[in-house]
Amino acid sequence: MKQRITYVVKNPEAFTPEQLVVKDDGTKFTLQRVHAAKEHRITLGLDELPRELSRVFQQWHEFHIRWASSTAYTATPPFTSRVSPGLHIFFTPLKSTPEDALCSQLHDLLSTDLKCSSNASAIKLPVLSERFSMSASSQYFDYLESPVKVIDDFQQKFCKVENEVCGNLTKQLLTAAYVDIDYDTISRAVVLTAAWPDAQGNEGWSEDIELPKKDSTVEIGVLSHEPNSDPEDVQFGGFLTVLGQDSAPKPARFQTPTRHYPLIQSSSSTTATPKLHPLTYTTSFSQPTGLHPTLILSLPKEHLAPPNPSCKLHTHLTLPSYLFIDKYQFNDALFLQSKNLKRLRSIAGATDLEAPDWVINQWGSAALFELAHPPPSTEQKDTASASWNVSIPLHLRYLPASPSSHARVPVPWPVVFWACRADEGAKMAANPFDRVHLGYEALFGPRTRFMHVEPSGQGNGTRQLVEWIDVPVLDTTKTGWVEAGTVGTVLVAFLGLCWVLFGKVGGGQKVVEKGKKKQ
Amino acid sequence: MALSSFFQSQRAVFSASILLRAVFLLYGLWQDANSPMKYTDIDYYVFTDAARFISVGQSPYARDTYRYTPLLAWLIYPTVWPGQFWFSFGKILFAVGDVAAGWMMFRILKEYRNMGDESALKFASIWLLNPMVATISTRGSSEGLLGVFVTALLWAVLAKRNAVAGFLLGFAVHFKIYPFIYAASIVWWLEDSRVGQKKAGKLQSSTSLLDQIVAFLSPQRITLAIYSLVTFLGLNVVMYKMYGYPFLDHSYFYHLIRIDHRHNFSPYNTLLYLNSSPKPTGLDSTSSSFELERLAFLPQLLLSAVFIPLVLARKDLPSTMLAQTFAFVAFNKVCTSQYFLWYMMFLPYYLPDSTLLRSPSIGITALLAWVLGQVAWLQQGFQLEFNGYSTFVPGLWASGILFFLVNVGILAVIISDTKAKTDASSRIVKKIS
Repeated sequence: MKQRITYVVKNPEAFTPEQLVVKDDGTKFTLQRVHAAKEHRITLGLDELPRELSRVFQQWHEFHIRWASSTAYTATPPFTSRVSPGLHIFFTPLKSTPEDALCSQLHDLLSTDLKCSSNASAIKLPVLSERFSMSASSQYFDYLESPVKVIDDFQQKFCKVENEVCGNLTKQLLTAAYVDIDYDTISRAVVLTAAWPDAQGNEGWSEDIELPKKDSTVEIGVLSHEPNSDPEDVQFGGFLTVLGQDSAPKPARFQTPTRHYPLIQSSSSTTATPKLHPLTYTTSFSQPTGLHPTLILSLPKEHLAPPNPSCKLHTHLTLPSYLFIDKYQFNDALFLQSKNLKRLRSIAGATDLEAPDWVINQWGSAALFELAHPPPSTEQKDTASASWNVSIPLHLRYLPASPSSHARVPVPWPVVFWACRADEGAKMAANPFDRVHLGYEALFGPRTRFMHVEPSGQGNGTRQLVEWIDVPVLDTTKTGWVEAGTVGTVLVAFLGLCWVLFGKVGGGQKVVEKGKKKQ
Repeated sequence: MALSSFFQSQRAVFSASILLRAVFLLYGLWQDANSPMKYTDIDYYVFTDAARFISVGQSPYARDTYRYTPLLAWLIYPTVWPGQFWFSFGKILFAVGDVAAGWMMFRILKEYRNMGDESALKFASIWLLNPMVATISTRGSSEGLLGVFVTALLWAVLAKRNAVAGFLLGFAVHFKIYPFIYAASIVWWLEDSRVGQKKAGKLQSSTSLLDQIVAFLSPQRITLAIYSLVTFLGLNVVMYKMYGYPFLDHSYFYHLIRIDHRHNFSPYNTLLYLNSSPKPTGLDSTSSSFELERLAFLPQLLLSAVFIPLVLARKDLPSTMLAQTFAFVAFNKVCTSQYFLWYMMFLPYYLPDSTLLRSPSIGITALLAWVLGQVAWLQQGFQLEFNGYSTFVPGLWASGILFFLVNVGILAVIISDTKAKTDASSRIVKKIS
């Protein structure tokens, strides 16, 4: 088992090395009140896992879980990449993978209500960039708000009482901003990565980290983001400690090209910690939503200049099956322009324009739009004047009749980013903090940098990155007489018309007479 | 005064009808070029996309929601040529079809209804100068094209061109399925003349069953049957050879198995939504559904393809076809406003002698009820679609039922009017002319 724990200090001026102590012959690391973002990465060989779990992973060629919390947070570089809140699973099956492998695992793990009938419930991911062959072939998604149940089950099943690491970690996962689990047949290792934007409460992290076993490795980094003059590199400086080897934190500094480059304020300072760019976005729906909700992304105009001329603004939507996009709407230039859209770059998954939700087998669809941004000239005119609104027209499928007038469904916020050209594409994977399998990288070439726009910290008003819409449905508490009423009416109408056809109807006489007179 | 002289001139009426469509077409071009809200019907983009797929050697069914015969995409093939003019070719074709249908209506009214120019033009104007008809075709909906085929079919039948009629019938059924109901009324209508000729020599009571069958298999009928079947099957075989299973799937099977759960004018709509949606597991209620809606085709087909033709066809073919279509649309499991065009094309033949015109109170009541029925439904539909109110029950259901009853009422008037005509009256009129 290998562990790597990284703290990225939020305010380097308020940090002193005295907050870090290595004790007990270098087998215990203590840090006191460190305000930092944290990433915890655990690498396990398949043979280190309980057999039941190991078998689950071995069914796949590759298997990547990306779960993101719906609670808004402020990212700290290098942990700036994002996916829409919820549970994403990216995978490539083996030839031998059973058809129901995904669903039976998910039903065991989460809930039997989950919309999953076979591996085909996942959607095929389009690969626009052929050279990006490292991406998984399919995606599954469910808006899983909280992983509590999964983590509880896991803890009860697999964490032995004496294994403190297991118990502590599972507890901590409950507060993570995102959790990634990666497996592939080549490495035959399972990597769990969890990230926290900050410690719970206002006290910062105060933790004791011990070497769990003699043969395990624990590497701890306490770093801060530093400016770097290379436009494609990020730089970090701080202290690294390998438990069992180092008797004191060792100073370290490194720079690396990065796939997810932080969107930072331009600054001429070569020493000050880079500050995140003030650009944020909010997601909302124009009201009333009806059966054709329009999703609106709002961004402040004043900050909406491309960080680099090669950058294009994009949004990636993860739409559960009750929502769909009519791709044919986005062919017309005027229409696109009126919505502040450039084009629909990609759409995958359930795109049937007519089917009700209950006949859709797939979990939904994923779409990538290129967004327009205001021309630089308007930027200077009136900085106070509000925001740049991008509208994406969506459509609702009919949901099953239910004993209420509306069904409330979640729509996770999309992610928004600038996609920019990167000359150092090939070297990105060497970045120790590289993060892939997010669902959209394969839609771009390998030489692409993603500069993520932060969602507003306010979220939907309650700091949640999710919108809820009420879908009108047929209220079964009122339909008691619909069947009898319909059938009765049709029957009466039918019999009535038969009577008019075959019976001796009076009124016709006059017509006959008049008809005869004419002749 | 000006109006009456207007209807005396063929040139004036037809020029006006062409002008109307030209203005709509140009306005549509302007709106499409200047507004993100398009005048062009969504279906037109479906047709033209399908034509584009054909032009690059692909199947028209590569376009989602293309549920028509490939012939339609072939018909508007020039829309793939560059430029706004060629893109509008389909709309122009549909509009020309409209006017051609109107011209045939005018001829039928003159020849087979013994009308003078002025009356014939007035009644043909129900179609020719109808803004709804002109809008539908210039927006690029193919329903108007059907007007040509069906009106031509009627003309061919009345003119005793049985081979042509058979071809048109087979073609129309291939194109849109529903015209198969006309087969019954045309076949029944055809017999009349044959038996009429025989009656002169033979005593009617002495005919045996075999004689009746032999008499029924008249040459005209056999001609019609052969030509229609050969056309229908021939087209299907060719299309199947070219486009394979997707052709059958999208042009025919889709229409048989579709659920039609989305709100529309049909009285069955709410019931279909209710019974097609999955029941919550475990909470299975005791009121099990008998799925009576599966039998919905019975009253529809009995009325439109059997009863109405049997009782009415020999009295007045065009009015019978109106009643059939009216019944078919009213009792259909799905109904949108484009379907109204299907029966509107028969109104010019029926209205002149109708109670609806002769008794203004009945006529105006019927028209108002028909319009108000739609308005009520549309209002409920708007509340659902754009305001998100759950108006399925009682609003949409009740207004759907109400509109259905209004239609049934109008249908009853049409049936009793047609029934009251003497047998083969139209033929007597024709002989005089």
